[in-house]
Amino acid sequence: MSQRDFSERDVHMALDGELPQDERAELQAWLDASPEMKARSQRFEADRMRLRETFATVLDEPVPDSLARVVTGEAKKPSAAAPRWRMAAAAALLLAVGAGGGYLAGMAGLGREAQARDELAEEAIAAHTIYAAEQRHAVEVGANDRDHLLGWLSKRLGLTLVAPDLAAEGFDLVGGRLLPAGQKAAAHLLYEDAKGNRISIYVTPEGAEKAKGIYKDEEGAASAIYWLDKGWGCAVVGTLPQDQLLDIGRNAYRQLLAGAGMA
Amino acid sequence: MDERRAAILAEIPRLRRYARALLRDRDSADDLVQDCLERALARMDNWRTGESPRRWLFTIMHHLFVDQTRKTKRRAEVVMLTLDNSEALSSPAEQAESIASREIMDALQAISPERRAALVIVGIEGFSYAEAATMLGIPAGTLMSRVARGREELRGLLDDVARRRTIRMVER
Repeated sequence: MSQRDFSERDVHMALDGELPQDERAELQAWLDASPEMKARSQRFEADRMRLRETFATVLDEPVPDSLARVVTGEAKKPSAAAPRWRMAAAAALLLAVGAGGGYLAGMAGLGREAQARDELAEEAIAAHTIYAAEQRHAVEVGANDRDHLLGWLSKRLGLTLVAPDLAAEGFDLVGGRLLPAGQKAAAHLLYEDAKGNRISIYVTPEGAEKAKGIYKDEEGAASAIYWLDKGWGCAVVGTLPQDQLLDIGRNAYRQLLAGAGMA
Repeated sequence: MDERRAAILAEIPRLRRYARALLRDRDSADDLVQDCLERALARMDNWRTGESPRRWLFTIMHHLFVDQTRKTKRRAEVVMLTLDNSEALSSPAEQAESIASREIMDALQAISPERRAALVIVGIEGFSYAEAATMLGIPAGTLMSRVARGREELRGLLDDVARRRTIRMVER
């Protein structure tokens, strides 16, 4: 058999075990005649070994219970979607990555037990933290254009969204905006009272889970009262005393359900 | 536990290794594995009889990875920086890594997600070009070229790191 022309492509194929057995000796002869290509081939081979060695230890690590339980069916419930990925995106925003690696450090620091409701609350708090602090750009559409705002958000969320009337608690609608929530959309409604206190209502279509509770941000200030039910999630976020926030949350949730025809 | 679940359970170490090579950060990698397992269990019907559980699971995980990288494009740019500052950035879990391991993990993170996935699935996980192309949903020729370009890019980055180290030593 006459020696065929080899190229770097064949070097890669040989490394990956894709070069036919009967061509390997010929390739070796070709490499021996080309010191530069041979050195390159050897560096690739060394890198391949290094990669394999670097990650080999993962196979010896004990399988985390949390993963085994997903398969054995002992997990309490599957989290609706990518737990920390979405939070990582929020964290990246909040950390305002300056120093390189802030992103990774942020991800490593997030709790391991994150689940759909934590996610909902985290995202709602992130939205509140970012937008309630804004003076001029707190909302995308103002309360003066209320019908347009609610029509638009309802359409994007796929449910009838109302802006709860919280006048009894002293809060008026400032306006709202559309936000990304993973692959889905979320609505953020901002309210303000006469003293300038702000609260947020965050609504998103959110899987089949059923849960409710209070979530306090580890960073401190804001709390979220949340509900997950009937295929959507709602959170009321603010820095008010918890009892007051809870009252507002219950009132808002009742109105949201009634408005969406789910009461 | 039925046979199918047992077969999936047995693949977890391999899935974790693939995820770790793709994402580097242990918690993020395990989250990816968890999502993959949840999706797999929800779609057991899609698992054709006779199909290797490994290939089926790797395919699911790869799709999740691709979705994720679309969402977090900024990662590449952040990780590029770690090539310069890797000392300062190492988290406690990573301190046990040798410098050589850390360098190659950093470099791997710095190449594009498509090339990274191709290189890892062939070079570390040991799938054939044909298997890898099927799992990644791309033609075999594209797969081959991603593996080759990924390997070249990785080497180029490692050369850069070595060069910088040499310069620092000379400066002293």
